[in-house]
Amino acid sequence: MISSLSPQLLIKPNTATTLSPIPHVQNQRFKLASHVCPSELLSIRKRPGSACAATTQHRRYLLFPAEEEEEEEREVKFTSDAPALAEGLQREPMPRHVAVIMDGNRRWAHLRGLPVRSGYEAGVKSLKTLVELCCKWGIRVLTVFAFSSDNWFRPEVEVEFLMSLLETGVKEETESFIRERIRISVIGDTSKLPKCLEELVINVVETTKNNTRFQLIVAVSYSGQYDLVQACQRIAMKVKDGLIEPNDVSESLIEQELETNCTEFPYPDLLIRTSGELRISNFMLWQLAYTELFFSQSLWPDFGEAEFLEALKSFQQRCRHYGK
Amino acid sequence: MQKVYSWACQIGNLGLWIIWLLIHFAVDLWYFALHIACAIESYLISSGILKRYKALDIDKLRYLAIVIESEEAYHIPAVIQLLQWLVDIGVKHVCLYDAEGILKKSKESILGKLNNATLFEEAGESNLLLDHKHITLEFASFPDGKEAVAKAANLLFMKYVKLGGSGKIQEEKIFTEAHMSEALRAVGCKGPEPDLLFVYGPVRCHLGFPAWRIRYTEIV
Repeated sequence: MISSLSPQLLIKPNTATTLSPIPHVQNQRFKLASHVCPSELLSIRKRPGSACAATTQHRRYLLFPAEEEEEEEREVKFTSDAPALAEGLQREPMPRHVAVIMDGNRRWAHLRGLPVRSGYEAGVKSLKTLVELCCKWGIRVLTVFAFSSDNWFRPEVEVEFLMSLLETGVKEETESFIRERIRISVIGDTSKLPKCLEELVINVVETTKNNTRFQLIVAVSYSGQYDLVQACQRIAMKVKDGLIEPNDVSESLIEQELETNCTEFPYPDLLIRTSGELRISNFMLWQLAYTELFFSQSLWPDFGEAEFLEALKSFQQRCRHYGK
Repeated sequence: MQKVYSWACQIGNLGLWIIWLLIHFAVDLWYFALHIACAIESYLISSGILKRYKALDIDKLRYLAIVIESEEAYHIPAVIQLLQWLVDIGVKHVCLYDAEGILKKSKESILGKLNNATLFEEAGESNLLLDHKHITLEFASFPDGKEAVAKAANLLFMKYVKLGGSGKIQEEKIFTEAHMSEALRAVGCKGPEPDLLFVYGPVRCHLGFPAWRIRYTEIV
């Protein structure tokens, strides 16, 4: 039975595996039970794929789905550190770093006749869902474009609301970040933020800096051109201090000084932009050279598990050559 | 009784399965027909029989960039054909990019095969406005991206070091986005920000197209 498992499902030696196979059914899918600590026992159930051609036994399941769980169930226990994946998603290739431009909050609110703030509040819920999914599926870094340098030109009321939303979000979730071992990093020109928010950001970054399970990078008051310019400013200070010769400045030196160097994986493998817009809007310009771009039609508050799955499946079908 | 019930279930399942197959077939047929219609339309437009592009309003498209994956960039006749179509549509300024610089090396042959095509660097504004079928071409490759930013930064660093003795210079005044743009022009990266960027190849990334220039570029 174990030999018929997907080769991507790694089972450690001397471990036991729980399986619920259904024989003679094409397009078998194995689904790991989620929300279980790696050290606990996991039960894997095989379910027929939704698009598979039905066999005689599968046709029976259409009227009697409960029977598939009782019929010929063999149990082998196992423990595994492998993250639980959704149906149809392969273990490899999985992006290590996903970047998201969270666009469409205002349109979402407008379509529903709601105030703009409702759109942003709904957007926060989508972000929480996405963080949970990333943790569940083994994605190591998520960068979100929360507030662009250009957004400062929006109406003052809206900007103030966004700042207060950020402040509330950080305060409410700090404990959760610590508990879930999530590291928070913030990139962008934080000197433009209200003082209380700036201090809060410094505090949460410092408090979570040793967390290693997952990293959430929030881009606030950020732009790709700003990132490059501030990298040059930092190099200039090193030149002034005599640490570097002006002629020694190279691409790799610039890369080391970019704000995204706060992570082990500074280059996103996948960029998702919601709301159907086809631009990167001055986001991580230097870092996105070989990043796979996925433009989703969903507005950000509507971006959930199904939409994220679609983006990941699209990523897994692509052939990345990195320009070679 | 149980036998009858079992038979009824099997017939019911069979019926549902047949309905599912029919729906699946109908959807497949629909998409197949759409695909055929698109293929026929593309053929008619490519062969010049159907000139739907005449109704296109491309005034908004001031600068088009085309990123071609390196393997595809070797197909120069296909690139020339694409540029010919763009001339027919009325596109006036195009930047051709491939990471390895294959198109840059074939610059002369591409310009030679197209009528009324000039290099972007050599074209003057007065020439561009007179001729409707004129096109300017810019050729770019990977060194025009990150390497160019590093060169531009070096230019600013040299200026910074020269003026550093005065004690009045701050890094923020020398290194600004405007100064970086100016420095990029000084090192030869004079092209404007494209309005639209087409990517040809199996990938969906811009393969290192000069990042400074694609802040708000639509990518297709």
